[in-house]
Amino acid sequence: MKKNNRDESITVKSELYVKVEDNNFLLNFLPVFSVLFGLLLSGLMMLLLGHNPLIVYSNMLNYAFRDIYNIADIFAKATPLILTGLAFGFAFRASLFNIGAQGQFYIGAVLAVGFALKLSSFPMVLVLFICFTMSLVGGSLWAAFIGYVKARFNANEFLVSMMLTYVAIAVMNFLLGGLLKETKGEYPQTDVIPESGWLPSLIPHTRLHWGFVLALLVALIAYLILWKTSLGYKIRMVGFNRDAARYAGINVEKIFVIVFFISGAFAGIAGFTEVNGMQHMLIEHFNPLIGAEGIGIAILGGAHPLGIVLSAFLFGALKVGGNLVVQTSRIPASIIGITEGLVILSVIFSYFIRDKLIILRSKKKLVSKERKRL
Amino acid sequence: MNVITGLLVATIRMSTPLMLGALGEVFVERTGVMNIAIEGIFLMGAWGGFVGAYLTGKLWAGFLFAILVGIFCGAIYGYFTIKLKQHQIVTGVAINILTVGLGLFLYQLLFGIPLLPLTVEPLKDISIPFLSDIPIIGSALFSQNILTYLAVVLVAVGYWVLFKTPLGLIIRSTGENPEAVDVAGINVERIRFITVLGSSALDGLAGAFYSIGFLGLYTNEIIGGRGWIAFAICFLGNWDPLGILIGSLIFGFAEGLSVVLLTSNFKLIPNEFLIAFPYILTIVATIARRQFNVPAFLGKPYIKERG
Repeated sequence: MKKNNRDESITVKSELYVKVEDNNFLLNFLPVFSVLFGLLLSGLMMLLLGHNPLIVYSNMLNYAFRDIYNIADIFAKATPLILTGLAFGFAFRASLFNIGAQGQFYIGAVLAVGFALKLSSFPMVLVLFICFTMSLVGGSLWAAFIGYVKARFNANEFLVSMMLTYVAIAVMNFLLGGLLKETKGEYPQTDVIPESGWLPSLIPHTRLHWGFVLALLVALIAYLILWKTSLGYKIRMVGFNRDAARYAGINVEKIFVIVFFISGAFAGIAGFTEVNGMQHMLIEHFNPLIGAEGIGIAILGGAHPLGIVLSAFLFGALKVGGNLVVQTSRIPASIIGITEGLVILSVIFSYFIRDKLIILRSKKKLVSKERKRL
Repeated sequence: MNVITGLLVATIRMSTPLMLGALGEVFVERTGVMNIAIEGIFLMGAWGGFVGAYLTGKLWAGFLFAILVGIFCGAIYGYFTIKLKQHQIVTGVAINILTVGLGLFLYQLLFGIPLLPLTVEPLKDISIPFLSDIPIIGSALFSQNILTYLAVVLVAVGYWVLFKTPLGLIIRSTGENPEAVDVAGINVERIRFITVLGSSALDGLAGAFYSIGFLGLYTNEIIGGRGWIAFAICFLGNWDPLGILIGSLIFGFAEGLSVVLLTSNFKLIPNEFLIAFPYILTIVATIARRQFNVPAFLGKPYIKERG
């Protein structure tokens, strides 16, 4: 009996999403505080460089919300981050670790750019539909392999997904050096795709495109799958307690493959929105941190689609404001990455504080209840 | 003959840091903690090694600084995962993200953005007289730099400590049955924390091997997943120092092969495949290898029962 107790406390502790039962003001705003704390820490790094963090941050805010173009850019930058965040968050709900969203993103991007280049004579709707489908299928099959070897051979999924990222980079570089190389043949990059393959813009004269709406839809779909379908119920059950799920008759191995398939689809679609909506071409070393940032966003958003969308907006704003601050002052661009890392770490720290607070409050409640009874 | 000798030399050289990293990982995982931050600590070690060596002009200072930087990163990781009992994979990934920015930031903080990469004179090879003159294998085995010799010695010492000493018994028990260790009056968290620090020190040293052990420069892509490979070798070597010795040599061979083929005029296989080869090998090995020594409490925080 005692042993069972301990096991339970371990599973509860190890989850990011301990259920908050009482609506305490402080608890609900803990993520906000932790973001501010992370910003404070990276402000200290700026002090090291001899910059006043207050001025830097106010510049960042000013730049990010200066005009409609920049505001739209925040959401354009957030688009692929929502998708890679969902890729990690969705698998995390099943206690699986897909840290290879970067690779799935590249496979999706390669397929999207390839089909957009080859199908230039087709009508726009058809080109976009084919690019979308191919990047989705490519990303999901690439990831389904991880789920398959996890299910069939009990291979360590985060090791395999990480290693597959490096393989995907090699595949992309190989294609950029040969099959997909620009007609000038100078740099390892593709030609600009014909306009029939461009995602139409959402707000004219900005970079925001319909891919953003697509990303929001995908987030909604992820929510619906997880909380409104029996498949989602099974996925979350596998996440909470794999053994219990197995005893309840769920084919856990099948869930592994399905989860990775869906998770990879999200990351693959990110490749589509980046190629067809944003860059309109593929370059070597293209968005090299998008997978890692997705993981951070999923952690920050508590692996919930709504949280992920909001966190992606935050990271988008950091990127837009940060990039402009970096361009206009002598602060190195890597400060944006550091800020992101510190924010994530302080969010993890806040999970510890939240657990403590919840335990403290439930203890207090228990004490007052016992007192009343006496 | 020349090619084979070159390949053997490259094999042993490239397996050195993997050996160091995987050895640390074996120890830490035997206590039940996965050091997922290994990739980031490799990178910070590479940075620390370069900075220490460049600023002082002395290589030993570089290695020392790399070890200290490694311990510092390990302390952060250990604090979050052991003291605060937060999720190991999540924390490790967060630290890895942070170090990618940090390595570049601190490099630019110190040196600005130089037009050409700054260099230091890398570690010199030590040739053992007579033995290094043996044809083919002589220079591979007996003309390497001091870290390679150190790594082999550490693996042997590690094997002895882990399986033949009371300390090793405590370390192994901490991962198999932390409650029993606790009841015996040994502080589980302290054992885990110290082991994390030790393994991170080795990771820092391993990272410095890439920057000042043979390349003599620092770039942000210098590690490029080698930390993860060391992490994989720990699994594939069945959490046994002798297993990781073999594993490191296999992966050193894979890397050595791609290095030798990349620099030769052999153009039959595309370069990208050669670069991807060690990673593909890791996947194949992860799938093919049956694991039977998995520490029972690997990845689970120890929560003391109260009352």
